[in-house]
Amino acid sequence: MIENRPWLTAFRHLMLIFGIAVIGFPIWIALVAATHPSSAFFSGVMPLWFGEQGLNNFERVWNNDDRVLGVTVSASWMMWNSFIMAMVIAIGKITISLLSAYAIVYFRFPFRRTCFWMIFLTLMLPVEVRILPTYEVVARLGMLNSYAGLTIPLIASATATFLFRQFFLSIPSSLVEAARIDGAGPFKFFKDILLPLSVNNIAALFVILFIYGWNQYLWPLLITTDEDYYTIVMVIKRLMTAGEGNVPWNIIMTTTVLAMLPPVIVVILMQKFFVKGLIEQEK
Amino acid sequence: MATVSLRHINKKYDNGFEAIHDLNLEIPDGELVVLVGPSGCGKSTSLRMVAGLESISGGDLYIGDTRVNDLEPAERDIAMVFQNYALYPHMSVFDNMAYGLKNRGVPRDQIKQKVDRAAATLEISHLLPNKPKQLSGGQRQRVAMGRAIVRNPKVFLFDEPLSNLDAKLRVQMRIEIKRLQQEFGTTSIYVTHDQVEAMTLADRLVVMNNGRVEQMGPPLELYERPETQFVASFLGSPGMNFMSARVDANCLHLPGGHQLEMGQAIDLTKLQQQELVLGLRPEHLEACEMPDADFVLQVEMVEPLGADTLLYGRLPGNEDLMVAEQSGKIRYERGTKVPLRVDRSSIHLFDKDSQRRIV
Amino acid sequence: MHDTVVFKNKILPYFLLAPQLIITLVFFIWPAGQALYQSFLIEDAFGFSREFVWFENFVYLFQDPEYWNSMKVTFLFSAMVAVTAMGVALLLAAMADRVLKGAGTYKTLLIWPYAVAPVVAAVLWWLMFNPSIGILPYWMKFVGHYWNHYVNAGEAMTVVVIASAWKQISYNFIFFLAGMQAIPKSLIEAAAIDGASPFKRFWQIVFPLLSPTAFFLLVVNVVYAFFETFGVIHATTLGGPDNATRTLVYKVYEDGFVGLDLGSSAAQSVILMILVIALTVIQFRYVERKVQY
Repeated sequence: MIENRPWLTAFRHLMLIFGIAVIGFPIWIALVAATHPSSAFFSGVMPLWFGEQGLNNFERVWNNDDRVLGVTVSASWMMWNSFIMAMVIAIGKITISLLSAYAIVYFRFPFRRTCFWMIFLTLMLPVEVRILPTYEVVARLGMLNSYAGLTIPLIASATATFLFRQFFLSIPSSLVEAARIDGAGPFKFFKDILLPLSVNNIAALFVILFIYGWNQYLWPLLITTDEDYYTIVMVIKRLMTAGEGNVPWNIIMTTTVLAMLPPVIVVILMQKFFVKGLIEQEK
Repeated sequence: MATVSLRHINKKYDNGFEAIHDLNLEIPDGELVVLVGPSGCGKSTSLRMVAGLESISGGDLYIGDTRVNDLEPAERDIAMVFQNYALYPHMSVFDNMAYGLKNRGVPRDQIKQKVDRAAATLEISHLLPNKPKQLSGGQRQRVAMGRAIVRNPKVFLFDEPLSNLDAKLRVQMRIEIKRLQQEFGTTSIYVTHDQVEAMTLADRLVVMNNGRVEQMGPPLELYERPETQFVASFLGSPGMNFMSARVDANCLHLPGGHQLEMGQAIDLTKLQQQELVLGLRPEHLEACEMPDADFVLQVEMVEPLGADTLLYGRLPGNEDLMVAEQSGKIRYERGTKVPLRVDRSSIHLFDKDSQRRIV
Repeated sequence: MHDTVVFKNKILPYFLLAPQLIITLVFFIWPAGQALYQSFLIEDAFGFSREFVWFENFVYLFQDPEYWNSMKVTFLFSAMVAVTAMGVALLLAAMADRVLKGAGTYKTLLIWPYAVAPVVAAVLWWLMFNPSIGILPYWMKFVGHYWNHYVNAGEAMTVVVIASAWKQISYNFIFFLAGMQAIPKSLIEAAAIDGASPFKRFWQIVFPLLSPTAFFLLVVNVVYAFFETFGVIHATTLGGPDNATRTLVYKVYEDGFVGLDLGSSAAQSVILMILVIALTVIQFRYVERKVQY
């Protein structure tokens, strides 16, 4: 610390606590709302302190008792779908990107540049921009209402490939040379040297991509009509529009809390990797 | 154990740049050859071609009796020590040294035996479980050496292995490398830009410049009889003094009206009126009494090094800065005039145009 | 100049690249081509007839005041999201940068909203601002304001901006904090010795040095606001009231999937792609310039 100004330090703490309180306030509201009966939201102002219906709400949503979610599947099932989607996208993207970055950095072959640019073209085109034609392609391939349709179109990733490429380029070339002299071919080098060295980058990307996959909204909304493939994030919006008049806020907020929990836990547990991985993107 | 032969080796890059021109080198079994030269002279490229890390554009490379031009690095039975050591950061010292053996399918118990023996030779047995990150520069250097010797290859290749170490450690490791190389008797090629390292290590020295060999031979021979002005200037520290000279009778006329009578040491009669370049090593300029002096140095700076003292100055009427190396026993002052005598038997004369040695 | 050491295998790299390339071709290049092709067609909703009309879809779009309105909404929305998210994040990062005690805890407590899906963020704020039971309108009544985002365009916009920016604060905070911590301490110390107050030091030393980070974040935030906030609008305002929150991406969805005007939707997609490419080029320029420093 350059100088000691107690009032300044106190001010900083105060501002941070205030900021955290404001940013956390919606979550407080969600948690509180999840513990009340739906009648608490019919009139007057919403409650600001916890009620006693928390466990009951949770059970009804988790098991979809009395079709409280307005669909045939339970929240637990939809969370499972979200989990599969997030995991397949995260692992798939990492695998595919590792392989293609490896090919681009460590091999020389005709059309290397063409391949490179074709992959990076995708960096420019988020799903949202080309929803209709992509939907048509997936429909034509018969992939509507399937896990494959939910995940595979989102698996190609220029961002992850780019990050791995940057990382591989930062590995001193003498390491590859030493490995070649030590008799390691392309497979052994990948398995024994490159993969262990990439562990931190893989962990960081995993966090980012898991969240990306879990939070997908537009894509599952378009390609799933079969409720068996609904994800937890999707169903919240359906609840909002389902009951005109009396919106079941307690059920919505219980579902919302469930939908937030897994990605928030992943971020907090893997905070260090995640922050590092994010910041790499600027470089 | 093997000889290494480079015959008419060429290296041309895709962009047309020719890095190596017609390199010929025969390295006898067990000899340590040092390639030395300024950066970009092609010494590293040559080494990397022997290693198989760089493709060979033309010529033949033999290790033993096998032509290895098209063999993978791993198939050439060589080991290499890199400038930045290139240790695998995620592996322990043991695994670093064992990796090459594992890939060659050596049985586990033999690997352990070999690594232990190599580690003992290098006194790094206690470091085997550590990761490279936990080691000092000198220790990493030893591990890199260990990785090379553990496989007992036909040829050791060293690519500026000491340049990342501090001065003291560099001297220590230099001696260590020489000791190991003699102990194992393995044919070695060593690349450096440091001429002291080159002189002290080499059985044979190869001075390279612009992708060509300037001269090769035992280090002292190159020092005493440099074939070109480049070799003369590259070897020795402080460097050789050069000045233009014109021959008249048996006398060299230097700029500023100075004259150097050759006497009986050298016969200049065949070079009448030619313009030459005179090369004088600093240690061959001796301080003397005025009547014996060839010329008088106007001292501009004094560098006392302890054992020796370096005098920097100019001859009256001559622009070139000159260095003379004197015994450290005598004190010199800036601004004084020091009479110097040239050792006639150790002067070097080069042709002004071709820069090749004449005498 | 060294041709970096590479493995000589000529076929293996194609196998390594195959999964990525196939997915790229099938799900990126092909649809993008389709969009381009369709943008030159007029098709009825059932696909019975189609007609090649060159740029008619584009001409029609640019003559449509609705499209211009949507364009205006998008730019306004993005600018407000970027400014709000970056402003709050910068303030918090400036506070957290110099805090010694509890810095880790603060950081954790500020980072987690990154994990919240935009649509979830929207639902949270939709409840907070609910005109009949929401806590914020309840408080506003005390100062005599009756909040209703169902009818008031400005208020609807405010909700979607807050919901979108709220989630994005963490992301900006992480980058600003990292940027501040990368500034050499000696620089700040030198300024302190030169007599600059903490406030001055921030504006005259820290802030200018953060400008590359700020620029990077600006592009990221604009891209986010343009393309990733579909869920926010779809879950809350549905583009209303009176199209006041209908962004370009939402309009593509609406015209394509609800209105089934395929040609127009495709033309809008093409324009969006051009926008994305422009933004990416700007970002690449920035990366290049940074390399030169």
